[in-house]
Amino acid sequence: MKKSLKAVAGVLFSLSLLVAGCGQEASTGNTGGQGSATAGSSMTKEAGVFTFAASGEYQPFSYFKDGQLTGFDIEIGNEIAKRLNLTPKAVTSPFSGIIAGVKEGRYDAAIASHAITEERKQQIDFADPYYLSGGQLFTRPDGTTSTLEELKGKEVAVALGTTHEKMAREYTDNIKTYDSDVTALRALEQGKHDVVITDSVVGEIAIGQGLKIKKSGAPLSEVQHGIAVRKGNTELLNKINEVLKQMHEDGTYKQLSEKYFQRDISKNE
Amino acid sequence: MPSISHLTEEFFRTLPFFWKPLLLTFELTVASVIVGSIIGLFVALLKVSKFKLGQIIANVYIMVIRGTPLIVQIFVLYFGFYKMIDLGQFWSAALALAIHSGAYIAEIFRGSIQSIDKGQMEAGLSLGMSSSQTMRRIILPQAMKRSIPPLGNQFILSLKESSLAAFIAMDELFSLARRLSAETFDEMTYFLIVALYYLVIVMIFTYVVHRMEKRLAKGDV
Repeated sequence: MKKSLKAVAGVLFSLSLLVAGCGQEASTGNTGGQGSATAGSSMTKEAGVFTFAASGEYQPFSYFKDGQLTGFDIEIGNEIAKRLNLTPKAVTSPFSGIIAGVKEGRYDAAIASHAITEERKQQIDFADPYYLSGGQLFTRPDGTTSTLEELKGKEVAVALGTTHEKMAREYTDNIKTYDSDVTALRALEQGKHDVVITDSVVGEIAIGQGLKIKKSGAPLSEVQHGIAVRKGNTELLNKINEVLKQMHEDGTYKQLSEKYFQRDISKNE
Repeated sequence: MPSISHLTEEFFRTLPFFWKPLLLTFELTVASVIVGSIIGLFVALLKVSKFKLGQIIANVYIMVIRGTPLIVQIFVLYFGFYKMIDLGQFWSAALALAIHSGAYIAEIFRGSIQSIDKGQMEAGLSLGMSSSQTMRRIILPQAMKRSIPPLGNQFILSLKESSLAAFIAMDELFSLARRLSAETFDEMTYFLIVALYYLVIVMIFTYVVHRMEKRLAKGDV
């Protein structure tokens, strides 16, 4: 009994040391960041660092490849940071919580493929659009639903907090929400739901990876997507707009876009 | 932090939306508690039996289930097993919860069975009852009574853990809170409101269990 008590105490003690060690490391990292803040601006949450959020579950815009967060949105964010002489720090969060996170100042920006909507504009400010894309209905290969009107009586799966969810709710109440569009597509393939609405590019990539689903019907309306920053942070907003413009002018944007989509997605197909 | 008046206002505004999710959370919990208790009792009996293979099965079950997170078990049942058996959303979540709590309930039952004085079994045997008869008529009724407080605890855990079903797109309480916060960009308000729902249900439940304990304790000397 006494022996085992000692063993438990030993394990607890070494664990607490481990935790304390981690805490220390983090705090030194922090002061390091503050030390390098020579710009003296409060444009970002952590001086010298550009913290931006994406879902990390939205291939090809943000996803993990070999454990590394990457994708079109992430590369755009890294490029912005580079041109503003900031260290990029991409973080992931469930899509539905990203706007709230920007609002509360947890992230400097959201580069997470947010469609620009009036509703969102009331919460945050959008930079100039950075790409144009639209929703699309997806079904299993034998599915027949091809218009929004036909959603009635069907079970629709969408990612929580997306404009696709909002659109679906106008036509039916039978909606299942997942954290990620890709998970919704996988559940669709497994026969758990009838239809998924997501971005056409995201669905195409999933099909390309072997998911047995198909595009159904015509593309839904195309919308502009924007980078979101906290309301009132005009300094950052202007700088992002400036950088986006530069990236278009010097061809960096086109290059990035072609890398992921084989075309320039700031323009109509 | 949202203000109290804002919270109250939103609480009453969203009240009608909460009925259906509340019912679903309740159904999930009840289904998982019933199935979990059956599993738990069965596994506990295996564990106290003299049947070696049964003991091994029970031990492995408890080890694997207690050793893996519930969210993983839910995802395995929901996304992993669909090719063998399609359990559907409700039963994927309910069964995962049942199998999960079953492992803990088994330990509760085992503990209370073993806490009954050995003399009781001997007395039953000397009266000419078989060991399974003694177990059924003498030991289990007493053990059940002792199981009630820890079981109540376990049921509260199951209720709260049912919130994980939100991640397989079930429209239960937590899922609604997430939806409302995504719609309004006002996260704190709805997470606090849903916390209140859980708290109230748990309080009601705790009261019921407490009453049951008292009632059953009347028989004790």
